[in-house]
Amino acid sequence: MINGTVVDLSRVQFAATALYHFLFVPLTLGLSFLLAAMETVYVTTGKPIYKQMAQFWGKLFMINFALGVATGLTMEFQFGTNWSFYSGFVGDIFGAPLAIEGLMAFFMESTFVGLMVFGWERLSKGQHLAVTWLVAFGSNLSALWILVANGFMQDPVGATFDPVTMRMQLTSFQKLIFSPDVQSKFVHTSIAGYVTAAVFVTGVSAFYLLRERHVPLAKRSLRMAALFGVLATIGVITLGDALGFVAARVQPTKLAAMEGLWKAQSAPMPFNLIAFPSQSAQKNYGMVQVPDLLSLLVTHSLDGTVLGIDALERQAQRRIERGIPAVQALRVLARDPTNAAALARFAAHRRDLGYGFLLQRYAPNVSQATPAQVRAAARGAIPPVAAVFWSFRVMVGLGLLMLAFFVLAALYSLRNTVQSKRWFLKAAVWMIPVPFLANECGWLVAELGRQPWTVFDVLPTWMSASRHSVAYMVFSLIGFFGLYSIFIVIELYLLVRAIRLGPAEPGGHGMLAGPTVPAAAYGAKAQG
Amino acid sequence: MGLYATLQVIWWLLLGVLLMGLAVMVGMDMGVGAILRYVGRTDLERRVALNIIGPHWDGNQVWFVLGGGAIFAAFPLLYATAFSGLYMVMLLLLWTMIMRPLGFEYRSQIERPAWRNAWDWVLFVSGAVPMIVFGAVVGNLFRGVPFHFEWDLTSFYTGGLLGLLNPFALLTGVLALSLAAMMGALRVMNGAEGALFQRARAVVQRAAGAAIVLFAIGGFWVHAMPGYRLVGSPGPGVPQTPLQQSVVRIPGAWLTNFGVHPLLWLAPLAGFGGMAGAWLAARADRSHLGWWLGALAWIGVIGTAGAALFPFMLPSSADPSMSLTLWNASSSKDTLLWMAGFAAVFVPLILWYTSWAFWVMRGKVSAEKIARDEHAY
Amino acid sequence: MRTFLYFLLFMVLAVVVTILAAILGAEGAWYFAWLIGTAMLVLISAAGGALLDAQEASAAAGRGPS
Repeated sequence: MINGTVVDLSRVQFAATALYHFLFVPLTLGLSFLLAAMETVYVTTGKPIYKQMAQFWGKLFMINFALGVATGLTMEFQFGTNWSFYSGFVGDIFGAPLAIEGLMAFFMESTFVGLMVFGWERLSKGQHLAVTWLVAFGSNLSALWILVANGFMQDPVGATFDPVTMRMQLTSFQKLIFSPDVQSKFVHTSIAGYVTAAVFVTGVSAFYLLRERHVPLAKRSLRMAALFGVLATIGVITLGDALGFVAARVQPTKLAAMEGLWKAQSAPMPFNLIAFPSQSAQKNYGMVQVPDLLSLLVTHSLDGTVLGIDALERQAQRRIERGIPAVQALRVLARDPTNAAALARFAAHRRDLGYGFLLQRYAPNVSQATPAQVRAAARGAIPPVAAVFWSFRVMVGLGLLMLAFFVLAALYSLRNTVQSKRWFLKAAVWMIPVPFLANECGWLVAELGRQPWTVFDVLPTWMSASRHSVAYMVFSLIGFFGLYSIFIVIELYLLVRAIRLGPAEPGGHGMLAGPTVPAAAYGAKAQG
Repeated sequence: MGLYATLQVIWWLLLGVLLMGLAVMVGMDMGVGAILRYVGRTDLERRVALNIIGPHWDGNQVWFVLGGGAIFAAFPLLYATAFSGLYMVMLLLLWTMIMRPLGFEYRSQIERPAWRNAWDWVLFVSGAVPMIVFGAVVGNLFRGVPFHFEWDLTSFYTGGLLGLLNPFALLTGVLALSLAAMMGALRVMNGAEGALFQRARAVVQRAAGAAIVLFAIGGFWVHAMPGYRLVGSPGPGVPQTPLQQSVVRIPGAWLTNFGVHPLLWLAPLAGFGGMAGAWLAARADRSHLGWWLGALAWIGVIGTAGAALFPFMLPSSADPSMSLTLWNASSSKDTLLWMAGFAAVFVPLILWYTSWAFWVMRGKVSAEKIARDEHAY
Repeated sequence: MRTFLYFLLFMVLAVVVTILAAILGAEGAWYFAWLIGTAMLVLISAAGGALLDAQEASAAAGRGPS
């Protein structure tokens, strides 16, 4: 029997390291394509200011990229170190996209990023442009394969449980990569990265315009980012809607939590704009509702309905009861893999095996489970409603805020009057943290909404964790918190410093104009 | 041999190739980090050394990521059991490795000597410690790791905190570090001139000498060590779990494969030959040749370990019959087949563009240029 | 001759891309949308930059040489 504290600490560690990693990744996804856009203008028009832009934003890109790569190492190994049962149980499917990510995408991104930084003088203009584009595609293809893996956790298609090897096994690779959840989640996440980068570039450019520094560079950067951002924000919202539509079908518990839907309602269903859900009372307090909107949003029709949490709990209870024989048969098969009776019994109940596992948390021996334990397990099949509900609303609210922001930015920039709108420029600087917060909320909706499962309907979270001691987990958590805190301080310091110093002005002064100390003196200075 | 068994062997070999790629490419960059403070006496010299590997360390590091991904995809039970069992060691590895990208990117952003000195120490630690850990982990495979499974394949690690730091593991750890230092120094020789070149050459010779001695001692040690032998199992290419086999421990069993297939002796021979060749090449200032001979040394050393351990991937000292072999730890046939398809397309592509990147950045790194260049490390 | 070979090469590429796009469009409509959308985003943003150059040039010309 696994210690609940260890599971909780493992979850905290995974969430903390993943959320931290996800601070840096979206900026990489989007800024790489903005760099490609800037360099494309440089190569086609030959105007040196666009090269200066590509190099300046490239410098900031690299400061951010380093930390993304570093924290990505943790993620690649954390499944094995802290979620070993999970890794053995679904590694046959889950590992493949991670390996393909390395083969197809990460190698490309990392090899060419070196040439992007160091190759300005060694490559022709066209070659360097191609390298920048490959970095952009590489980083986004990386995201694709990571989300193929994540999509399997949300909607495990293309796999089935094999009682001989006691794990999930791949049945259809095509189903895995073309699953609707994977597709919409990849596009949603990738473009959310574009929005992040667009807000970042707009905000930093606004900072220069406010101080009337590097004006031509800032105006051009702002123009490009505003157009990039307005289209990308529209895309993110569209794909967010598509994801909700998919979730209504494949993850009804997540959807019910997102909407705070405790009881089934008749069509057309109202949308809870504001509510304070209480998990223990199974109801919302202080609701503000918009009539008909929920039906429109999640079913794209006025007479569509989705299940409420009460109905989902009853459904879970029935599946738990059917999952009990599956677990019992599996225990026989573990000792005697060819037992015909057990095989037949397992085959009849295999679909509900995950729910049998879910019950093991409340009744370690499922054969002696009491009705009260079954009910407790069914109640446990619902994610934490308030957290999912509010993460979702914060994400959507910030998304709409960014849409308004970019419409304004595009308008002012296209009229070429943005430099005189000081209030807007000040607001733009304050907008910089907004997309990062929205990204984190999106992660929380997706992964908290999936609870209590690591693989939806298949493998409960509490079973998935490695059997470490509490002391080990406390030690590693303290280590990660310590290291990561130091890292973020250094990163922000360097980033702010590079922004304050600004881009190298040709013949001017700026950090990037090169050191003023000659090479020989430079070496001598460090000797002391 | 059926398709499934063939695929299992292919992936066992591919994993070996990935580990060799990891050792050669990441090991070289880590070697540079480990020797940085010694070969570079001035800040500019250190920057030259860093800029020699600057354009490539990021791409090279993917060998490490890919190694992890490939173990996960092709041998999930190994990934799950080894990484959770070796938790403290993995933390040591991760925490030192995640400092390295920052060391490269952030070190030269600020000119203050204290800042740069601190990052130089980071590069030293993040170069030396991971290589020792890699070597020590492989050393522990020979001794076995204390773990066992429950009925549903939940794995339990029953060893202590420091059980993994035994004398044999330390020996293999230092062997890995010396090979990495040798390769790093050869790489510095490729791109450097003057005093830096001379000091790097001295490192190559000392590191190669140490590696020869350590590899030889390791060989004698293994000769007398109790090894593992599979005496009963469902067999290759049959879907199975580690609960269905029997394994015994016999002194000297790790040399059984060499007795059955004498051609395998070529692997340790390549190891010794590569180390000695790198030593001679460095003496003759032929660092490019030396680098390739150093790569041969790695191939020989890892090949020797693989040949001895086959078919074991993670022997269990707590319950030898629950040892992981490539037959019971591998993915299903479909997964291995799909992965083989992807590897067949992308591994050649990776080798092609990696070589192109090295070719683009070929030649000596000039100190004058670094001092002027805004992109340099 | 050289032009003709380039023409052939690009024709072959165009056919391959069309076939791949047809397959991707059927199986992975969102992937296809991402590819097209990303290219569009980058190009529109690039065009926006070039447009700013033109706007500033014409504004400078309107004011006349100073």
